[in-house]
Formats: sequence, structure tokens, C-alpha cells
Amino acid sequence: MATGGVNLSKEFFELLKAIGESKSKQEEDRIISKEVQCLKKKLEPTPQGHKNPLQSKKKAKEYLVRLLYVEMLGHDASFGYIKAVEMAASASLYHKRTGYLVCGACLSPDHEFRFMLVNQMQRDMQSANVLEICGGLLAATSLITPDMAPAIVGEVTKLITHDSETVRKKAIITLHRLFQLAPDVVTFDDLYEKVRKILCDRDPSVMGCCLNVIEDLCIRDPVKFKELIPSLVSILKQIAEHRLPTEFDYHKVPAPWMQIRLVRILSMVGQGDATASSGMYEILNETMKQADVGINAGYAIVYECVKCITKIYPNAKLLDAAGEAIARFIDSRSHNLKYLGVTGLAMIVETHPQYAAQHQMSVMDCLEDRDETLQRKTLDLLYRMTNPVNVEFITDKLLLFLSGTTDVFLKKQLTTRVCSVAERYAPSNSWYIKTITQLFEVSGDHKIS
Amino acid sequence: MPISFLLMVNKQGQTRLSSYYEWISMVERSALESEIIRKCLSRSELQCSFVEYRGYKVVYRRYASLFFIVGSRLSKDGNDNPENELGMLEFIHNLVETMDKWAGSICELDIMYQLEQVHFLLDEMVMNGYIVETNKMNVLRPLDLMERENQKSESMYR
Repeated sequence: MATGGVNLSKEFFELLKAIGESKSKQEEDRIISKEVQCLKKKLEPTPQGHKNPLQSKKKAKEYLVRLLYVEMLGHDASFGYIKAVEMAASASLYHKRTGYLVCGACLSPDHEFRFMLVNQMQRDMQSANVLEICGGLLAATSLITPDMAPAIVGEVTKLITHDSETVRKKAIITLHRLFQLAPDVVTFDDLYEKVRKILCDRDPSVMGCCLNVIEDLCIRDPVKFKELIPSLVSILKQIAEHRLPTEFDYHKVPAPWMQIRLVRILSMVGQGDATASSGMYEILNETMKQADVGINAGYAIVYECVKCITKIYPNAKLLDAAGEAIARFIDSRSHNLKYLGVTGLAMIVETHPQYAAQHQMSVMDCLEDRDETLQRKTLDLLYRMTNPVNVEFITDKLLLFLSGTTDVFLKKQLTTRVCSVAERYAPSNSWYIKTITQLFEVSGDHKIS
Repeated sequence: MPISFLLMVNKQGQTRLSSYYEWISMVERSALESEIIRKCLSRSELQCSFVEYRGYKVVYRRYASLFFIVGSRLSKDGNDNPENELGMLEFIHNLVETMDKWAGSICELDIMYQLEQVHFLLDEMVMNGYIVETNKMNVLRPLDLMERENQKSESMYR
């Protein structure tokens, strides 16, 4: 519920007003520097006070939020970090969460204060209060370092099977974080076994959450997940057919981000494997159809399916469906959809160049568009479409763009690409030499990797 | 691909909320925030909501005076980022709708007055850079509970 600032102290309110009305970064910096001085005084250790204990606690929480502001706006507030650590030990949930929040946002990975929080996080994870457990899990995800992992792995693992779905959801992400930081403490196999079970969790949110973990593990070892294809397909089918509770709908599209994740996982598992891929053709077709409802959330799913279809073992009917979707995207008036069309085409065109032929006019339009993002994506597409017939034209375009851009990343990428296509498709030695010379003139100081 | 950062920046370039899911030093953060907002501001309403910036794929959307900006890392060769840009754009919209529901119509001031609570809301939806909850009821329920517990403990001292 929005409060309109009624519960803020006058001082804090004035500070926010000043920040909100400041007209320049310098003015904002001045305000924040003053605030830093003010906070430093306030946070000095107070003599044994006669104040109302809650009053000072409330104030303390406010000071922490002000510290967060200071750091958010680019000033150092390290004098206050210890207060944040202390507040994480508060009995009041709100204060505890605020303390953890400030710690997570401000303490660098090698800051010694992080260690001071381990015991507190452990205690919170053992609490009877679900919200306290969640506080501990969230804090652990942002504050844990590899050294601290062994201390909490036991607690986190227990919480994977907690009664509350809010806890289970967070626990799996925290466990995954431990795996990322300390793969000797939480091994791939450990995590895989846990994740297999959670895939069947009775709560769709918990299942949806664990799809993130599965996606990451799948990147590392897609083969392991082939045995899960039937489960993944079945889950996707349930979602696409509207069999989840309607509260999971987003503008009538059922759990679009879960669908996207599932399709992405399938694309990794099906890549280069005819048997694995054949198990997904039907569901991909169905998902694409169900998602085609005319809004962005649906188009996002269709786009993910298109990407998947171009990655897995080819199926003619699906490729045609993908080609059709791409055509509609490219011809759309929305630049966002054009972007998807161009990107999708780039993926399909390397292995199936025939889909590009009908779009030559649209692709040229995109190249000439004032939208820099669209231009860049179209360049990417052209690069992938290069063949001995069009190499001169495409190289000219790449060089033209290279000479006009100041973006270091793009320059590097274009330089590499011009070299690559020039080498592969050069129609003659003289053309090759001319092209490479031009390249040196335009980007001579960039290393070609 | 996980989210690296999520920002709410107004059109004067003032940061109203920043959430980083990988550690970046304060100096780098300030530079990133000011450059990204400049890039977003230089684009027209008709152009697409996606840009590439310094090795990040950035999705942004403007709501009144506030830009919501999400960045995720491109892979090293910049060729393959599996992130679904349109999906991320709609996630931003879902976040705004959720904030709207929580605040009873969200505005920039609400975020300023209740910064920590907006963080708590965001924490229910994004964890370790992953989108963990998009069901609005599931996001708001724990927030309600926390709010109630907070009011209870404060009233004990009246």
C-alpha cells in the first residue's frame, strides 16, 4: 500500500523532496554530501538513552534506508555498514529485512562484515516464522561467499522440502547459488537429483522457479537432461493448454515466462539429437499455435519456439511454421517485432538459406532504418547470409557501418566478421587485398581475434 | 541468461532504484547508470525497446517519467545471448502492474517514499538474477503478511 510519505520523518521527507527537485547531478551530489555528514553524526554511538526503544529502532531503520539512498546515488556510506549488520539481528522482521537489504546492496564480496552475518542467516533459516526463513534465504543469495557456503548448506538443503511453498521456491535458488559459488560443496549431481524431484512439486511456482536452475545446469551438461524430456514436454503441455490456475495467467497467456524457459531448455537438449528432438516436435507446434493470440507475451513464446526450431534437429513442417512466423514479424509495423523477425531469420538462414529469399526488400528496409539496434541486427543477419554471390555487397555494408560507429564492441565484432567473410568468399585476390586494406584504414588499431 | 541489473531511472538521469545481481563497484555503477539512461533517452518511442551496451543486452521501457531498464550479459563473442528480449519487456510490464496493484497506482514518488518496500517486492520476483515469480498474488501475499506483522509490532508500543 502506498503511504504518500506520511510515515516518514520530517527530515527524511525534506531530503527526498530535495533530491526529487534537484536539477543537476552536482546539486544532487551537494545534497547527498550534506546528508552523509548528518548521518555520520546521528550514527555515532549514543549514550545509554532514555528514549522509547521502538522510537529509536524506527529511527534506526530510517537511517538505514537513508544510507541505501546515499550509496544508490553514488556516495560512500561505509561508516554505516555496521548498523546494517546489527539491524539484521533485529527481532522485528521489517528491520531485519532492511538490514539485510542494505548489507546485500553495499557490502562488496570481500568485505569482512559478510562473515559476521553467517550465524544470523543460519538462525533465521531455522526460525518457525516463514517470513524470517525467507529473509535468511534471500540474504544468503546475495551475501554468501565460497568460504561461507559449507556453514549454511545443511540448512538450505533442509528447506527444499519445507511445508511452505514460498520457502521451497527460495531455497532452490539459494542452493543453486551455493552451487555456483562452491561446486565442491554442492555438486552438480546433488543439485540435479534435487531438481528432478522439485520438477514434480505440487506448487506450480516452485516448479517454475526450479526451471531457472534446470536451464543453468542444462547449459553445463545438456546430455544429462535428455531423460527429463517427457516430463518437460508434459509440463509445457499442461501450461499451454491452460491447465494451471488462472492466477498464473498474464493477460490470458498462461505463465508465459515458464513456457519460454521450458522451450529454451528443450532447445538445448534437442540440439543435434534426432531422437530427442522428435519427442518435442508436437509440443512445439502446439505451443506456437496456443501462443499466437496477438499480444507481446504470446509473440515472445512464438519467438522462443522459432529459436528452438532452428536449433534442434530439423523438421520440415516446423521450419515452415517458423518461417511463417518470422515473415509476420519482419513485416510487422512494430519495431520490436521486426527485431525478433530479423534475429529469427538470422538463425534460420545459416542452415536453411531459402527462407531469406522472400525477405530481401524488408531486410534492406531494416538496414536503412534509423533505429540503430535494428540496423545492427540486420548487419548480423547479412553476415550470416553471406555467400559467393553477395559477398561484395555485404562486405561493403559491413565496412560502411564499421567506419560510422564508435562502439568498441561493435567495431571489434565487425572487424572479425569482415575478415572472416573476405577470406571465405573472396571472388578474387585483388578484391581481397582491396577489402583488407580498407579494413585496416577503418579499424587498424583493433586486434583481430 | 540471468539479469545483471535492474534500474528505475527518471528522464533526468536520477536513479530511483537500482538492483544489481552481480557485483559491480560503485564507480562502475554510476558510469553505467548515466550512460545507459542517455542511450535510452536518445531513442524515439517508435524504435525498438532493446539496445546493446558494453557487452550487455538491455531491455527498457518508459512509464511516465520513469525508465525501467533491465540488462543481461551477452556472451563473450556477443553472438549468442539466449535471453528473450520480448519476454523481458513483458516482465518489466508485469513488474509495473504488480507494483501498481501493491501501491494502488504506482508513481515515481511512491518508489522514493518506500524504497525498501519496493525492493522487497522486487525480491519476491527476481532472485539471483532469475525471474522466480510472476503470479501477482504470490508476490503480494508475503508483502501483506510482512506489513501486518510490522503494524502489529509498532502498535505494541502505542
